[in-house]
Amino acid sequence: MKNKLKFLIKQSISKKIGTKWFKVVNVLLCILIVAMSNLDRLITFFGGDFNKPTKVYVKDEIGYYNEFESIFSEYSKNIKDIGKYKLEKTDNSIKKLKKKIEDKDDIIITLKKSDSTYIESDIYTYDVIETVPLQVFNATLNGLKSKVVMQTSGLSPEEIVAITSNVTINTITTNKELDSNAKAKDIISTGLILIVIIPFFLFITVLTQMIGAEVNDEKSTKSMEIIISNVPPKYHFISKILSSTSFVLLQGVLIFLYGAFALVLRGLFSNISSLTASNDVTNFIKETYELVKASGAIDLLLKGLPFILLLLVLNMLVYAIVAGVLASMTTNIEDYQQLQSPMMIIMILGYYVAMMASVFDGSVFVKIVSFIPMLSAMVAPVIYMLGQTTLLDLILSNVICVVAVYFAYVFGLRIYKVGILNYSSTNLWKKVFRSLKEK
Amino acid sequence: MLKVENVTKYYGDNLAVDNLSFEVKDGEIFGLLGVNGAGKTTTFRMILGLLDRNNGSITLDGEKIDYNNTDSIGFLTEERSLLLKLTVKEQAIFYGILKGMKEKDILKKLDYYLDRFKISEYKDRKIKELSKGNQQKIQFICAILNDPKLLILDEPFSGLDPLNVEEFMSVIREFKKKGSSIIFSSHRMEHVEMFCEKLVILVKGKSVLSGNLKQIKKDYGKKNIIVDASLDISEVKKIKGVNDVVKNSNEYIVKIESDEYIDNVFNYVKKCKNVRKFNVEDASLNEIFVSTVGGMYEE
Repeated sequence: MKNKLKFLIKQSISKKIGTKWFKVVNVLLCILIVAMSNLDRLITFFGGDFNKPTKVYVKDEIGYYNEFESIFSEYSKNIKDIGKYKLEKTDNSIKKLKKKIEDKDDIIITLKKSDSTYIESDIYTYDVIETVPLQVFNATLNGLKSKVVMQTSGLSPEEIVAITSNVTINTITTNKELDSNAKAKDIISTGLILIVIIPFFLFITVLTQMIGAEVNDEKSTKSMEIIISNVPPKYHFISKILSSTSFVLLQGVLIFLYGAFALVLRGLFSNISSLTASNDVTNFIKETYELVKASGAIDLLLKGLPFILLLLVLNMLVYAIVAGVLASMTTNIEDYQQLQSPMMIIMILGYYVAMMASVFDGSVFVKIVSFIPMLSAMVAPVIYMLGQTTLLDLILSNVICVVAVYFAYVFGLRIYKVGILNYSSTNLWKKVFRSLKEK
Repeated sequence: MLKVENVTKYYGDNLAVDNLSFEVKDGEIFGLLGVNGAGKTTTFRMILGLLDRNNGSITLDGEKIDYNNTDSIGFLTEERSLLLKLTVKEQAIFYGILKGMKEKDILKKLDYYLDRFKISEYKDRKIKELSKGNQQKIQFICAILNDPKLLILDEPFSGLDPLNVEEFMSVIREFKKKGSSIIFSSHRMEHVEMFCEKLVILVKGKSVLSGNLKQIKKDYGKKNIIVDASLDISEVKKIKGVNDVVKNSNEYIVKIESDEYIDNVFNYVKKCKNVRKFNVEDASLNEIFVSTVGGMYEE
């Protein structure tokens, strides 16, 4: 009989992965993941003025162009988001310059003498100027003003700096429990939701749909009678749970590999790429990694990873069991889709609680939810990584989930046995409750 | 030998099968008849162990039917029990392995029967691409792949043309010869008549008529006299013992109450002109069925 179980599992998996659609979808997934990971490069590859410098026409009426240029380059090199600017001294009239910048991102800056503020400046742009360059120009002009003051007043540079610099404000937080790694935590929370929770959500949707479709297919064609006359419902139930879960896990591993492949590709081409935007993204990833590493999250993740993975699998099993039971109670996929909608709502609830976990730090409600099977896969890893729960709590979530898998299987099987050969929706719930009492 | 003894099945408060008993010996074809909802499918499901019964016992060769011996049962359901997305070959392998067969043996048998039913070219076609009749053939092949000891056939000729019905019958007779116990259910009484030595007719889960077909016909008593002659129907109807007269093409079917009235009819017919045929036959199973079941429903 065990050979039949093995055959059912094998047959069910090969029915899923042996199709040309599985191959087509996976090729597409691989291409899409590689493309998404290199989206910045793709955009730049297909052309555009991303590296073309913005011209800044400086109309200097006070003879301080060289100082302006050196202060600007000093300020702008420390600001990543400013992009490339090329300064050009000009004597052209404003009218002529205005024509030059028409339909362009170019900028005109005038340096004029002011009796009250030493320097006065007009900045002309065709469209509204962006905030970051405006701030840099503002800082440059203030720096230039200090230089002018220094040269005309006879004050020392230190005195000038002391006069013009902002008042130092030190912010001191007295809450000792406040984590110094708030930014890193925010990244972890967002990262986990993106990398773990959303894919988990999608996989569970696929898993439940798959089980529902398969069971209903066998029921509606009456092949269920032939199958169950040769294989006990228990084995049939197990085969559905294991084959669908295995398929989803396999798909998950494949997507992970596509992601790793995409990152390797990104790394390979980062050395030969000269694209600024692309390097910026690579640098951002590196910096984020460093930030997370410095917060100690990597160690935390490595310690908790086996339990996080186990929790994901256990939750998948609970969902698979419930989906199998619900599918056995229906006779067509339309009815099943209606019946399984509460399960989807449970998942959405888990997703929202996981998202809110970083906002409601230390919430008892969130902590309780992290122990509830079907929700724990989404909430427990996030609050563990945020440092709101310990490894022990994570293990406890796993233990509770194991118990849930056991009871869901034992009681689910009782319903399944009756449900798979039931073709009528009359007194359905009565039949379900009656079957729960039968061993 | 299949033995069904005092089997009762309730669905909640509804009695689906009421104290049903029958046996099907090796090499015997048994008819399980009844209108829709009479309890035939419930009986089949109980035989296969798909449903628990409330009372009674079911044994195959003296052993309780469970997963230790269901491999030796073949079952053809009334509705199509094929997975439409599979190919014929995949479907046969799927059911064959669930019957405990080896893939090599399954394919050998499959090739033989596909060839026999002249559909070898459909081996790699998806079930959903086949016609209703060809799907029925595949379903039948899947039911007999394992050379079943007990073969349950629920409406096996559904969707088949007369030639294929003949081919099915020939295969079924081969299984009878090999010693399989065969249970056959059909709404087409002429098919049952052609096959079954014994039968049971169910009405609302209860056996209302059972036994050997010949004996049933004998016990029924009523006869049909096929007459080809120039008759006056109204005169025939006046003869004592004549229940009805039906004109069928050039012949008349004179339905009489029992053997003892044959002479009355014969005495009338011999006086008629153009007498070419006078043939006394048993009542058809269809008549017995309608009379028995119809009567029960009228009650």
